[in-house]
Amino acid sequence: MNKSIKKALAPIASLKLTVLLFVLAMILIFVGTIAQKEIGNWQVVNTYFRSLWLMMPIGIAGIKVPFVGGYTIGGLMVINLIAAHIVRFKLDEKRIGIILTHAGLIMLIVGEVLTGLFAVEWQMRIEEGQTVNYAVDIRSVELAIVDPSPEDHDDVVVIPESILERHNNGLTIHDDRLPFDVQVLTWMSNSSVLAPRFAPPDGRTNPARSGLGRTIQVIPAPPVSGVNMNGLDAPSAYIRLSKKGQDLGTYLVSLNFEFIADETRQAVTVDDKTYLIELRYVRDYKPYSITLIDFKHDKFIGTQIPKNFSSEVRLVDPTTGEDRPALIYMNHPLRYRPLNSRGETMYQSSYIGDTTTVLQIVRNPSWIVPYVACAIVSIGLATHFGLMLIKFVGRARR
Amino acid sequence: MKKVTLWLPLVAVLLSVFVLVRPIMPKQTVGAYNLDALGKLPVSAGGRTKPLDSVARNSLMIISDRQTATANNQRISAMRWMADVISQRPETESYEVFRIDHPDVRSLLGEVPDKQKRFSFNQLLMHSQAINEQLALVRGIDPKDFTIYQKHLMELADHVQMFQDIRHRLTPYMLPPLSPGENWRPLAPEMVVVEGHPDPSVAAQYWKKILDAYQQQNPQEFNQQVAEYTTLLNSDMPAVMRKAKFEVFFNNLQPFYQGTVLYVLAFLLGAIALLASNIKNGTLAIALRRAMVSVIVVTFIIHTFGLAARVYMQGYAPVTNLYSSAVFIGWFCVAMGLFMEWLFKNGLGSCLSAVIGFVTLIIAHNLADGDTMQMMQAVLDSNFWLTTHVIAVTIGYSAMFMAGVISIVFVALAVHGQCVSEYRGRVLATLVGASLFTLVAIALAIVLTLFAIPQFAIRSVLLLTGYTSLFYVIFVGAVYLLSLLPWRPDTSEVQKILGKMIYGTIAFALLFSFVGTVLGGIWADQSWGRFWGWDPKENGAVLIVLMNALILHARWGGMIRMRGVAVLAVFGNIVTAWSWFGTNMLGVGLHSYGFMDKAVIWMLIFVGSQLAIMTAGMLPIDKWKSHPTQKRRQKAAAEAPQTT
Repeated sequence: MNKSIKKALAPIASLKLTVLLFVLAMILIFVGTIAQKEIGNWQVVNTYFRSLWLMMPIGIAGIKVPFVGGYTIGGLMVINLIAAHIVRFKLDEKRIGIILTHAGLIMLIVGEVLTGLFAVEWQMRIEEGQTVNYAVDIRSVELAIVDPSPEDHDDVVVIPESILERHNNGLTIHDDRLPFDVQVLTWMSNSSVLAPRFAPPDGRTNPARSGLGRTIQVIPAPPVSGVNMNGLDAPSAYIRLSKKGQDLGTYLVSLNFEFIADETRQAVTVDDKTYLIELRYVRDYKPYSITLIDFKHDKFIGTQIPKNFSSEVRLVDPTTGEDRPALIYMNHPLRYRPLNSRGETMYQSSYIGDTTTVLQIVRNPSWIVPYVACAIVSIGLATHFGLMLIKFVGRARR
Repeated sequence: MKKVTLWLPLVAVLLSVFVLVRPIMPKQTVGAYNLDALGKLPVSAGGRTKPLDSVARNSLMIISDRQTATANNQRISAMRWMADVISQRPETESYEVFRIDHPDVRSLLGEVPDKQKRFSFNQLLMHSQAINEQLALVRGIDPKDFTIYQKHLMELADHVQMFQDIRHRLTPYMLPPLSPGENWRPLAPEMVVVEGHPDPSVAAQYWKKILDAYQQQNPQEFNQQVAEYTTLLNSDMPAVMRKAKFEVFFNNLQPFYQGTVLYVLAFLLGAIALLASNIKNGTLAIALRRAMVSVIVVTFIIHTFGLAARVYMQGYAPVTNLYSSAVFIGWFCVAMGLFMEWLFKNGLGSCLSAVIGFVTLIIAHNLADGDTMQMMQAVLDSNFWLTTHVIAVTIGYSAMFMAGVISIVFVALAVHGQCVSEYRGRVLATLVGASLFTLVAIALAIVLTLFAIPQFAIRSVLLLTGYTSLFYVIFVGAVYLLSLLPWRPDTSEVQKILGKMIYGTIAFALLFSFVGTVLGGIWADQSWGRFWGWDPKENGAVLIVLMNALILHARWGGMIRMRGVAVLAVFGNIVTAWSWFGTNMLGVGLHSYGFMDKAVIWMLIFVGSQLAIMTAGMLPIDKWKSHPTQKRRQKAAAEAPQTT
């Protein structure tokens, strides 16, 4: 290797930089853990760990300081490592463990970046006897406007969460694909239902004049924190619908309806045509469908501690002609990989009541990377420290 | 004379075996009732089948914070209390078992002596109106937002409920599944049915006879019915009976409690050995050291037995909750200490074993709340991953703590070295400074309380610096006092060995914390398809890996040397404690002002103590202005010709 290149690389390869990066990583991870008291886990992941930089709160009077994000630290670690091996490369018994360890670590970091970029997670909620051919993304919602008039299908137009959020406080969404204009009066990224007898806190009147909102009121709620592992945000919005200046009514659309209303869709009639509106989780339609045949769950005798739960399902995929039964339970997912390019794995995640199962559907093309990387690092560390120990014990016993 | 090296260890071993055997030696039955036999009958509570004896002890631990009860100023055993309660003897209402710690909750009972901590059901009943009024105010508040008073009040309510459930035979489930398709079920409904019911279960009939006999004070009948019922169960569910019997044996043996005692004994032997090593010839010191090692080996065996027994009784891997992790960490550290003893044969490893064994068992004891063998949530119920991941991570924790504790010894020796050198006066000066600072911190804390400033951040920083300076005074002060003794060994050789121990242990910790963390990732990927989720517990584990990597790289890069490694390893204690406990505290209302969970306070105290030791380890004595080399430099600078 050229001497001048080595010389130029020396500062990048320095162990001081390594230690500095460790310190920064520890601070980032620590603060990123504390932050999960207040905000959701995936929000923390996106701001702290899957980012180049961020404004980090220091815990006093809401002051924030700029700080390096996970991608920056990880990237610098990889550069630092590669540079170090270029500068100090030597292949001998003493270094083989270190080289293996570091190669595995680079893979691990790259794998996490790939996961951050390409992995997708959905949920599938199925009631016993029901067949479902879509999964939902529980981290984002959309306002769906459904035209059920065609015989064999529904025509659906959706407004994504980001647009709803941007039009908060009274802006109007107008689009030719929409049958009417949507004015977002209030957008709540999390909300809770007001018990019927309670008056709204500030004495305001119920904004909703039509639909479910006439009887059900919601108030904004703080975001569900990452520490509360089972909680989910339930966004809501008060919207006023109109067509060419004609008021079609003010509605409440809310994820909370899922838990308290029998029918979550509300009818809106415009020009003698009826549409159904619903705030729902973003859907991803699958080529296959899953039918829940039976859901079982046991608790330990005399306790509320779940002992086990399992879903007996039937998977049908017309595109491949597969039609087979499967049992999904804890630590035993259904790995469905009809094509090498498109594998999805279904995990038993949770349940609602006694008859509704919640499956977690994951597509992660790089899922194998951490397995390989970790095996390499473990072998590397074991080799390195094993040799060290043998030598040390030998010397001490002499 | 040399024989002392043989018989002293032998005596020590015999003594420890005696300590161990004493509690399980057959006792004369107190009273005519065979309560031991009653205690061995299996019941089901918290989803686990266990002997009634365990339920009695655990319930009393929860209600009363000890394993005995007070009846008419007399101590009675847990089983006696249990028998009295389930047979509904009226006098149980006057047993003083309900422990109330909070003075404001206690004041609901009217005027009571300050000393009294435990109250009877009758006493509570007399003031039930006041208590119920208070409880009504608390209902509807999210438990996370409870003030400390509200928390204690609700605890009391839970304890009363628990007592009532036991008394009314709703819990534990006392009727076993004797015919196919049956499950464990409570006695209460069938007990009523027994009278006039054509077909009550056999078990219910027996229980009715047993309890009636006890109530009517007929020991002969009682003993006979218990024996008959035992015979029936022995033939119908032999495996369950064997386990129940074993668990009662385990309860009586109390291996972890005995272990605590023996670790103290071992440490005392070690301390005397250390002092003796300074006196004349070394024979006595060698004998004492051997005695210490033998006691630790015996204790380690009983510690191991305790862990194995739990695995047998529970059917899970040894680490299932915080309690068992403390027991396991202690066990593994003792093993590491014994390994070091085998390597260096200088008593250091054993001393460490004794101290860590003692401390971790004390921590475990304080973490125990009721049954320490709960059933596992479905998501965690996978023995393979429990075994591999949890054990690897816990070994990582253990090694990290081991390195930290060795480092504390290292720092203590370094400070001792300074105390016996020309720097003694300056060490004393830092002591005075730290004492003053502690006083200032206390004064500031009082001011904050007076002006009711609730800022959590300010309060915790103040507490932390206060604890740090306080512990600095304690730690350095203790070493300083030690240095006043005529005992002045040359510790440089010992320090070198300690340095090696620290380095090796950190390398070991890195390997296991990494492998453990990774196995956790694989488990998560198998369970819900997410290898790494950045959740608090995962982050805690990776912090340990990073800490180890940091120490090793800083050492390899020459940024720190032996002392630096030791100081950072002490910081490793904080990181490990955070990962072990801290992440569990996140859910607790850290942000609710005026209320801090007890565990958070302990965490702050621990962090403060470690920071104090780090500070002591970093005493930059030779950088001080008054230091000879500095003085020389200043002088040289003053004498040098001015150049501008």
